[in-house]
Amino acid sequence: MTQEKQKDPTFEEESEEIGGGAEGGQGKRKRLFSKELRCMMYGFGDDQNPYTESVDILEALVIAFITEMTHKAMSTGRQARVQVEDIVFLIRKDPRKFARVKDLLTMNEELKRARKAFDEANYGS
Amino acid sequence: MDNACESPTEKGGETRESDEPTAAPGGSRVTEMDGIPEETDGDGDGELKEAAAEEGELKSQDIADLTAVEREDSLLTPAAKKLKIDTKEKKEKKQKVDEDEIQKMQILVSSFSEEQLNRYEMYRRSAFPKAAIKRLIQSITGTSVSQNVVIAMSGISKVFVGEVVEEALDVCEKWGEMPPLQPKHMREAVRRLKSKGQIPNSKHKKIIFF
Repeated sequence: MTQEKQKDPTFEEESEEIGGGAEGGQGKRKRLFSKELRCMMYGFGDDQNPYTESVDILEALVIAFITEMTHKAMSTGRQARVQVEDIVFLIRKDPRKFARVKDLLTMNEELKRARKAFDEANYGS
Repeated sequence: MDNACESPTEKGGETRESDEPTAAPGGSRVTEMDGIPEETDGDGDGELKEAAAEEGELKSQDIADLTAVEREDSLLTPAAKKLKIDTKEKKEKKQKVDEDEIQKMQILVSSFSEEQLNRYEMYRRSAFPKAAIKRLIQSITGTSVSQNVVIAMSGISKVFVGEVVEEALDVCEKWGEMPPLQPKHMREAVRRLKSKGQIPNSKHKKIIFF
């Protein structure tokens, strides 16, 4: 079973992180997102108590995803830097992610403006 | 003539202020209007005379009587006017669609059972911790990243998790099993998404022509 896992290219990232290759432990990396991922999985339709192994797999996937995107962003546009424009460019083909990023950035701008206006109003009075 | 000369700058100020409260949807419109006063200012009387002549019977006194936006519209060429009306209509339609959607969502959420409400709350509220994401990105790049990058990356990651979980639930249902999701469902989901191209992987060199 361990061999299968390591041969599978999909989980190359996982087995590289493991280092030891033991099936039980995922190795030295500390779990970064365990709590948040559990809530997220429940929100997206899983059981209220998802299996720990599934959460671990998802965490490895997310870390691999972020790593991949970061590397791609570093080679796009301005080199060795990660900028929002690069992320938006990389995501352009995926409609869901693209729309989400646009919404988030728009909302952030609105919030910043609202906070600034609020602070100025307070300062004035 | 004096009126026509003064109005562009006045209009520019007025219309710019009125557009500021609207967020992104209004963004493209603001830039459009910013361009127009500058143009007419730069070219002076000649341009204005031409535009006025194109519009027909419009006199400078009539221009003073109209509202700010109408004044500007009357100085545009017919083609530019049509474009502006198109974008205006589209913006209004989009706002109306947003309002409809908000109403529908409110009706839907009000009819949720308690379990559904819990799940919906978790769906909306769960998020990746910004500090951990920032640390992760910075450990990869070696340089610091801006806040917007962290916001964008956390958002995209959440959508990614959603895609994987939804696909895994499909697999689970197809195999006739029940949640909670097991690793085999997750792996099958990732395999399917990979063949759709949703999982980025730049390690495997693809051979196009064998």
